[in-house]
Amino acid sequence: MVGETLRNLLLIAWLLPLCGFAVEIFGGFWGSRRSRVAAWLAVGCIATGFVCSASALTIWGNANGWSVLHHAEHHADETAADGHVAHDSVTPPAPETLAAADAHADAAAKPAAEPDAQKPQDSSAAATTAHNDSADHDHQHTAASPAARTVYSGTFYRLATFGSLELSLDYYIDSLTLVMFTMVTFIATCIHLFAIGYMSEELTEEYVDHHAHLRNGHHVHRPGRFYRFFAFLSLFCFSMLGLVLAGNIFQVFIFWELVGICSFLLIGFYTERKSASTAANKAFIMNRVGDFGFLIGLMVVWTYFGTFKFADTVDVDGHVVQAGLFHMLPRAADGNVIINPENGEVQIGAAAANPGNTHKTIPYYLLVVAGLGVFAGCIGKSAQFPLQTWLPDAMEGPTPVSALVHSATMVAAGVYLTGRFYPMFVQEVLLTIAYIGCITAFVAATIAIVATDIKKVLAYSTISQLGYMMLGLGVFGWGAGLFHLVTHAFFKSLMFLCSGSVIYGCHHEQEMPKMGGLWRKMPITAFTMLVGVMAIAGLAVPGLVGPGFGQLFAFSGFHSKDAVVATALAYVQANPAHFLLFILPLITAGITAFYMFRLWFYTFAGTPRDHHVYDHCHESPLIMTGPLLVLSVLAAYCAWGGEQGSLYLLITGDQPAYVSHGIPAVAGALTMPGHDAVHAVHHQAGTYALIAAFSGTFLAWLLYGSGKVDVAEIKRQLGGVHGFLANKWHFDELYDALFMRPTHVVGRFCASIDRLIFDAILHGSAAATVLVAKWDRAFDEKVVDGLVNLLGNATWSAGNSLKVLQTGRLRQYVMFIVAGVVALFGVLLATFPR
Amino acid sequence: MNPLFLLSILIFLPLVGAALLLIFDERNADAMRFWSLGVTLLTFIFSVVLWCQYNPAEGMLVADVCEWIPSWNIYYRLGVDGISLPLVVLTGLVSTLAMAASWSITKHVRGYLILFLMLESGMMGVFLSLDFFLFYVFWEVMLLPMYFLIGVWGGPRKEYAAIKFFLYTLAGSVLMLIAMLMFYFASGSQADSFNLLALAQKASQGGLMSPGTQITAFLLLFIGFAIKLPAFPVHTWLPDAHVEAPTPISMILAGVLLKMGGYGIIRIAFPLCPYGAQYCAWGLVAIGVVSIIYGAFAALAQTDFKRLVAYSSVSHMGYVLLGLAIWKINETTGETMNSDYWQMGLNGAMFQMIAHGISSTGMFFMVGVVYDRVHHRDLNKFGGLMGLMPLYSGLAAGLFFAGLGLPGLCGFIGEVFVVISTWSFSPMLAVLSAAGVILTAGYILWAMQRVYLGAEYRGPHPEALTPSNGRENAVAAILLGIAIVLGVYPAVLFDVMEPSIKAMATAAAEGYRHSHAEAQAAAGQAQAALNR
Repeated sequence: MVGETLRNLLLIAWLLPLCGFAVEIFGGFWGSRRSRVAAWLAVGCIATGFVCSASALTIWGNANGWSVLHHAEHHADETAADGHVAHDSVTPPAPETLAAADAHADAAAKPAAEPDAQKPQDSSAAATTAHNDSADHDHQHTAASPAARTVYSGTFYRLATFGSLELSLDYYIDSLTLVMFTMVTFIATCIHLFAIGYMSEELTEEYVDHHAHLRNGHHVHRPGRFYRFFAFLSLFCFSMLGLVLAGNIFQVFIFWELVGICSFLLIGFYTERKSASTAANKAFIMNRVGDFGFLIGLMVVWTYFGTFKFADTVDVDGHVVQAGLFHMLPRAADGNVIINPENGEVQIGAAAANPGNTHKTIPYYLLVVAGLGVFAGCIGKSAQFPLQTWLPDAMEGPTPVSALVHSATMVAAGVYLTGRFYPMFVQEVLLTIAYIGCITAFVAATIAIVATDIKKVLAYSTISQLGYMMLGLGVFGWGAGLFHLVTHAFFKSLMFLCSGSVIYGCHHEQEMPKMGGLWRKMPITAFTMLVGVMAIAGLAVPGLVGPGFGQLFAFSGFHSKDAVVATALAYVQANPAHFLLFILPLITAGITAFYMFRLWFYTFAGTPRDHHVYDHCHESPLIMTGPLLVLSVLAAYCAWGGEQGSLYLLITGDQPAYVSHGIPAVAGALTMPGHDAVHAVHHQAGTYALIAAFSGTFLAWLLYGSGKVDVAEIKRQLGGVHGFLANKWHFDELYDALFMRPTHVVGRFCASIDRLIFDAILHGSAAATVLVAKWDRAFDEKVVDGLVNLLGNATWSAGNSLKVLQTGRLRQYVMFIVAGVVALFGVLLATFPR
Repeated sequence: MNPLFLLSILIFLPLVGAALLLIFDERNADAMRFWSLGVTLLTFIFSVVLWCQYNPAEGMLVADVCEWIPSWNIYYRLGVDGISLPLVVLTGLVSTLAMAASWSITKHVRGYLILFLMLESGMMGVFLSLDFFLFYVFWEVMLLPMYFLIGVWGGPRKEYAAIKFFLYTLAGSVLMLIAMLMFYFASGSQADSFNLLALAQKASQGGLMSPGTQITAFLLLFIGFAIKLPAFPVHTWLPDAHVEAPTPISMILAGVLLKMGGYGIIRIAFPLCPYGAQYCAWGLVAIGVVSIIYGAFAALAQTDFKRLVAYSSVSHMGYVLLGLAIWKINETTGETMNSDYWQMGLNGAMFQMIAHGISSTGMFFMVGVVYDRVHHRDLNKFGGLMGLMPLYSGLAAGLFFAGLGLPGLCGFIGEVFVVISTWSFSPMLAVLSAAGVILTAGYILWAMQRVYLGAEYRGPHPEALTPSNGRENAVAAILLGIAIVLGVYPAVLFDVMEPSIKAMATAAAEGYRHSHAEAQAAAGQAQAALNR
């Protein structure tokens, strides 16, 4: 019942934007260019989606008595050693959960008072909802804490069946799905509203694009495309929500590509600009490079596991028909994947329940390949090293797009998938994830120091923060990484919208050297931006960050970054060889504070550097500042309470079972820190991070806020480094030389093979045939005909030479006869035998 | 409706329509066009009736058999199953749309229409014949109109392209003829010697040909079909034929004619010589992969819009070959391994054929629409069409995305199903084929950027770039609509194809097992003789 309600609510939230898209794109095309209907329709769709998502979250929470939140009170009691600690939930568990729990849960872990009578009720409910292949079922994710973790999954419809292999569109609803849904729809609603103001210049029959030029030097004039922008935004929301709702990895891939194409459409929104369409292509193609890896991961999973579904497929009686991916890897009680020491293969659990599966084991290295493959997709989507270069270019899109697609939601999809697919990642993959995240965070942060375009700074900071999330996930901070995802979504969308407000107010000026002192002109933007900057920098007032009132002085970024850094420290303490995984993020935390405050001081503080820009600058209208204010509250306080706060607990409500206790090392392997290990170093790591953040802030103030230091002089002194960073570590040039040009060379080579070899062979053989035909003709004409003609000619000339004899004169004939007779007699006499 | 009547009418209705064109006044071109459009539309409607009438669970729907040349055991034998039915409907659809796109043909309209309708008859015949000889006849019947349609109504190098097309295909048909005779005599010149069903039945019991002969016969058939597909390295007729052919003929060529190669492989080559097919499987898969990568690279280098789309066809049809051939067996027992994955590959390949028939037809049509206006196809001399022809550009973007393999559109399902089922055959080839997705995105997006995006149009005749008309929009919208339906709900096609493909695969696997045992025994005897 609950599962059905949740499914329907999320289905509405998911599909409404698609309907909106269809109406907006066609209605807008045939409608007036001055109409705002498309925008309000889009807002209506996504806002309704938010209401549905929030209701779904509430229903989900009520159904399990909000047990995840009470979880916190017992956090300290939990011991790492025992995986089956039962704790008394204050609220009685809801019937739905309990009944569902029966399917899987360890009976010993449940309170004895549990009313078993609920079970048949649920079965009948399930039976009524099961139509053919769309069975809705609820089941317990794991036995570790039975009252709290409830996952709802099922199938929408079937795509294809081949023997025992089946592909379908499914859903998988757990706490992470619901938090993501609520977050995405909420931020999207804010950004849609903001965009109504930001894109209002498009509400015209004749829009002048100052960045696109014709050959004669004039600007491009075109009809406004207000409706198209909102249609694409709606399509994007549909794709993104589909990605989050997806119940199997193949479906994730489907929506993965769809968000990619929406991103392509939105980056290239100003189709007249060459730079925009090139950036759009670059984004899509680099993502496809990652998706190539994703496909390889899919192939391995499909070939060895025979299913893409996350969750078990259960028939009406509650029997598992087919095991889901998340339950197929056998893990020992301590959380390690069980490997057969003889052949290095891993038994695929529940293989018996998987009739289509011809493989009963999978070589361990293929698990690594599958994990790395799927993660390669995440690298592309989340702009991680080495595929990070598309994201800064993606800033060609309108600023609301940068806020929604290229910072808050789509690029975070890589992080989301890494979190979602976590049970399938073995530790080698996690280590790669950690290092990739760590390198990305550092590299991007260094580039952000020297960027002067306000959006580019934010773009690099996005890459860097995504690196943090990956790092968090890689060092076994499942909750920390995803926690940072959600907080980052709030403060980064806030900052991007602020930058949008600045750009709008300054009439599309994006270069920070031309700004300065803007806080006087746009106080709301400056204030809300400061909130975002403090949040991302991770600032807090030392000593006042305790529970309760002290939370006022610690913004969301402080909590989530703290969680990541603390996990990294715990990881490094357990595995000292990987000390970089703590050092680099710590340095990056300082750099982050530096470049973010640099941005703020550069833009809003000090004196105006370009009076033309300053004089024409103005604060944005309410429809733009309103969302800023709302988002700034959330950016500051969404993580209220830190790791004991409700957001963190909600996110981690359905985390993989083995995460919270950590994984002890087996021979030669890595130790994964559990919650207790992290908790032990939390204070220490937090102190380090705060010191780093404050140093960065101070440095930024010194260089850009105080006015006492000549920045240009420093830039000149460090020219080499500055050039290297300003050229983005030369990644673009490198890739151009390594991949782009060779690809074109190979392309031309292939095309010329066709011309020079295959067609040449063909033409050669054609020529040979013609030649043979010529010989044939010559033989016919010269030899065969020659002989015949010779005979004919001889006969003819013989006759010809004889024709003189025929004269018609009788005397001559008589004379011939006489001569003949005389000759005959002569011969007769000469030869007659005597 | 009676199957014999329904199937025959699909073949002969266009022919009758062509004959009746003679009573029209030659000066009234539009009347003849509408008449031909009506005929193709009616044929399409009949094919839809057949679709509704067909029950996938029943397997092959065989019409009553009539004698044709009984002294040589040649019969008029028609039938349809889940493999051919989608292709029949596709033929009806593409012919109708291509006819709707034929309004731009103004030279010798009557001759053009007659040849066009004859071509449709030939294509229908190929997909509906169950008699090998009849199949062969239709195969050739379809060749001649195509030759004239390219050779008379084509572009500047039309004679060259037409002759190249003709000779390539003819070379393939000759090899097919030899194979046909091999089957005829191998089956003992009996009454069923041209009966594809009976031959397949015999082959599945291992009683048709020895393993060695099967390999020869398979290769002969395969070369003939690979030319049509077209697979690397016998694909070079395709770019020339496409570039020179008029737009509607390009649509037919890409939409239907290429499918005959794939259809021939799955209908004739695999069932009749399973041992040969399996023996060559690795090579086939490799050729498929090379076609994918090679075609994509070559497409990247083109500057002619139509040539680019033509090479994309080479690349996309590579997936068909790849999907068909991922047949893995256990070397010792001869049992088929991972048969579900092979079936997924077969289904994916069949789906890819239909999907390519939709997306590629659409792409060629879209190229034709601009070619009709500006009379050039140089990719570097376009740009800004999005502003000048917005609706056309939007529809074109959708169709090109379908070709790119975007989820939600038909191209994705075929491609990705084939690719993910390939790992179970050969991981290396699977990885290579997956790399094709990057290149595909590259050449399609780059082409779109150069044609549709940008500030302004940079080629000749800018004044001719008027928004697309209703007829053009309708053709494109129908194709895009089908692309979306197939992409979102592929089960509509899989449900029809799957049972027939499964039956084919099971029979082929059975046939392989018998021949494998025979080959093993022969090898054992040879070994024993050697030991003595």
